[in-house]
Amino acid sequence: MTQAAEIFQHYGISHSPLWDEMFGSDGIRQHYRGIADFLTNISPAELSKKEELARRLFMSQGITFTVYSSGEGIEKIFPFDIIPRIITSTEWTFIEQGIKQRLRALNLFLRDVYHEQFILKDGVVPVELVYSCPHYLREMQGINVPHDIYVHIAGIDLIRDYDGTFYVLEDNLRTPSGVSYMIENREITKRIFPDLIPQNHVRPVTHYPTILYKNLMALSPRKVASPNIVLLTPGIYNSAYFEHTTLARLMGVELVEGRDLVVENHKVYMKTTAGLQQVDVIYRRVDDHYLDPLVFDPSSVLGVSGILSAYRKGNVAIVNSIGNGVADDKAIYAYVPDMIRYYLNEEPILRNVPTYQLGKPDEREYVLSSINTMVVKKTNESGGYGMLMGHAASEQEIDEYKKQILRDPRQFIAQPTISLSASPCYIDGKVQPRRVDLRPFALYGPDGIEIVPGGLTRVALREGSLVVNSSQGGGSKDTWVLSV
Amino acid sequence: MLSRVADSLYWMSRYMERTDSLLRILMINHLSSQDDVQAFTWQPVLRAFTELQEEDVARMERSGRQVLQYMVLGRDNPNSVLNMVVQSRENARSVQDNLTKELWQCLNEFYHVVREPRLQHALQHEDPVTVLDSLIKQCMLYYGVADITMFRGEGLCFMNLGKYLERTIQSADILDLKFHDLSYDLDKPTDTTYWKYLLMSVSGYALYLKRYRSGFEARNVVDQVLFNIDFPRSILYSVNQLHRYFGRLRGDQNQEGYAKVDFLIGKLKSRLQYSDVQGVSRIGLHHYLTEITSDIHAIGHTLNQYYFAYS
Repeated sequence: MTQAAEIFQHYGISHSPLWDEMFGSDGIRQHYRGIADFLTNISPAELSKKEELARRLFMSQGITFTVYSSGEGIEKIFPFDIIPRIITSTEWTFIEQGIKQRLRALNLFLRDVYHEQFILKDGVVPVELVYSCPHYLREMQGINVPHDIYVHIAGIDLIRDYDGTFYVLEDNLRTPSGVSYMIENREITKRIFPDLIPQNHVRPVTHYPTILYKNLMALSPRKVASPNIVLLTPGIYNSAYFEHTTLARLMGVELVEGRDLVVENHKVYMKTTAGLQQVDVIYRRVDDHYLDPLVFDPSSVLGVSGILSAYRKGNVAIVNSIGNGVADDKAIYAYVPDMIRYYLNEEPILRNVPTYQLGKPDEREYVLSSINTMVVKKTNESGGYGMLMGHAASEQEIDEYKKQILRDPRQFIAQPTISLSASPCYIDGKVQPRRVDLRPFALYGPDGIEIVPGGLTRVALREGSLVVNSSQGGGSKDTWVLSV
Repeated sequence: MLSRVADSLYWMSRYMERTDSLLRILMINHLSSQDDVQAFTWQPVLRAFTELQEEDVARMERSGRQVLQYMVLGRDNPNSVLNMVVQSRENARSVQDNLTKELWQCLNEFYHVVREPRLQHALQHEDPVTVLDSLIKQCMLYYGVADITMFRGEGLCFMNLGKYLERTIQSADILDLKFHDLSYDLDKPTDTTYWKYLLMSVSGYALYLKRYRSGFEARNVVDQVLFNIDFPRSILYSVNQLHRYFGRLRGDQNQEGYAKVDFLIGKLKSRLQYSDVQGVSRIGLHHYLTEITSDIHAIGHTLNQYYFAYS
């Protein structure tokens, strides 16, 4: 290394097998050279100033979530690391094809499970796995959804193992969040690193809301010139509220809460200053469970009574569809490669992480005997909750967890620990490697699947940590997909 | 427009107007407290703008710093500048998609400014005028950004309804507060600085000098704040604006609500148009102001019933 690379001198390259996004076996990878040059020519003081500028921009634009304690709100920023994560155009083409294939199969699976259930009858996916899934909703059985699209928006999480191979970690098919950070992180990068984006030929991500809006328009059951499209939010106390307002603003659609809507005669209306107005398309960010107190949780105040009946009658389109959780369940996950073969007659492009079903006695026995090398997860939890990281857990934690498993094994799966690739981050005045994942956002409309080149790169900011969830001390990065 | 959104825009705007007005009142009272420290008391301000008990008022009335602290940054005071800005911003936050990004950022920055710990220190130990000035500038920035960036739609109408409704109440309250000191006697001789500060608090000093050449008289001050059509804080001006922006909501829908509110605004406007200082003096200024505020409250109540009811 030259003297210019001083900024990287603390960059501890791990000796354990690990894919580093920036450093290859023969130095800095080609696609990271632009940013590496920039970093070597800037003083740590300058970089810290940029970090501070980013913080202020997030604050003043209100890109924050509010933590309420002792009656007073405290504004918090979702931690942002200033060094972008870079993806080559070859890598992107592969990812794009893989996600499109996977999403087509998952959508067909939902269509099938809620109609004829061929895949269950043919024994490809075990019947009991579907019926024991808490997110399988029999209320959806036989309902025809517009254009047979269930998953209009998917956020499929990808990770890279030590050799750089991409694996799918999770399919998020319900109400995946984070896309506003894809958009806003890019806006922040434009401010803190002027000129760097065009110099590096980074593909834009700003058209995401335009595509989503076009898809929502196409779903309107009433064939009118300007259908009423709304975004249904749980309200200002929701931690993703910022995202809801951003998307509503960028699409120019009305942001509504459950109390703004009412169902009459199987039609959904919003209460306006000029009386009731019919709603045609609802992009909802409220979970299935709270959506309709008449059908699901009767105590829910976030939803709208009767909305499911309006949906069933085809008087309103709901995005994403209801009951999608059966397809992104962690136990069903293991069968996605089989679904791809079954429905599409293709070999899966993206790999699954090997997954053991603890509901199966032989797999359970194997997992319990080698739990130190496993990650055990609850099938119906998300956000990094209810997980056991075998390599890092204490004897006692493992014993406790084993007891939980044996109480209801169906609720658990196990996967071998995948190391996650590392990406350079600017932390405490030094460039240091931290583990990252990638969540691209795929939009499935009547014209097909489109994926905006980019996504949310989540980063585990604690040294050595493999958990990137924001609820567990994770942050995010701008994600660059290069056009050349 | 969603009823909830209209409601939030209206309250966002009312809280900002109230904040602006309170800041000006504090500024002017602080300035007059510097003229004659012996006789000055904060008691009328504390009575009119807080819910403090008599003993707390008595304890605080001679301590300007303490009053400013409580009224600007008091967390336990629901009517403090801090809490009103928080309220305004919370209302804005829930309807961000109906505001321009510039306006949202302006309010959000105001919110961060009033929450800065530095402000507390400055208010306690440095020049309060500087602090109040910096906050008044934030208000003016808000007005400018709202005026320049907001699209001329229903949303802006509801913001303006809130603004002018609140302004009417505030101007009436300031007059009432000041004339209370004089037992509502319009002919009582007073020090000119008294009127100067009152007019300055409503940015009406320059206009007064140009319009009323005969020196400071209570009757002229009342005339300007109540009836001067060119004075943006006069009550008649505010009610005219209220009528103007409400008129834009006329439409095929909600005809019943429109007729009710239009009637109330029209009635108030006529009452003002066909009054003069002499008449006001005859029935008593306090009585006259009370009638105006009760009309305004009726308008607010009817708007609420016909335009904002959503839960």
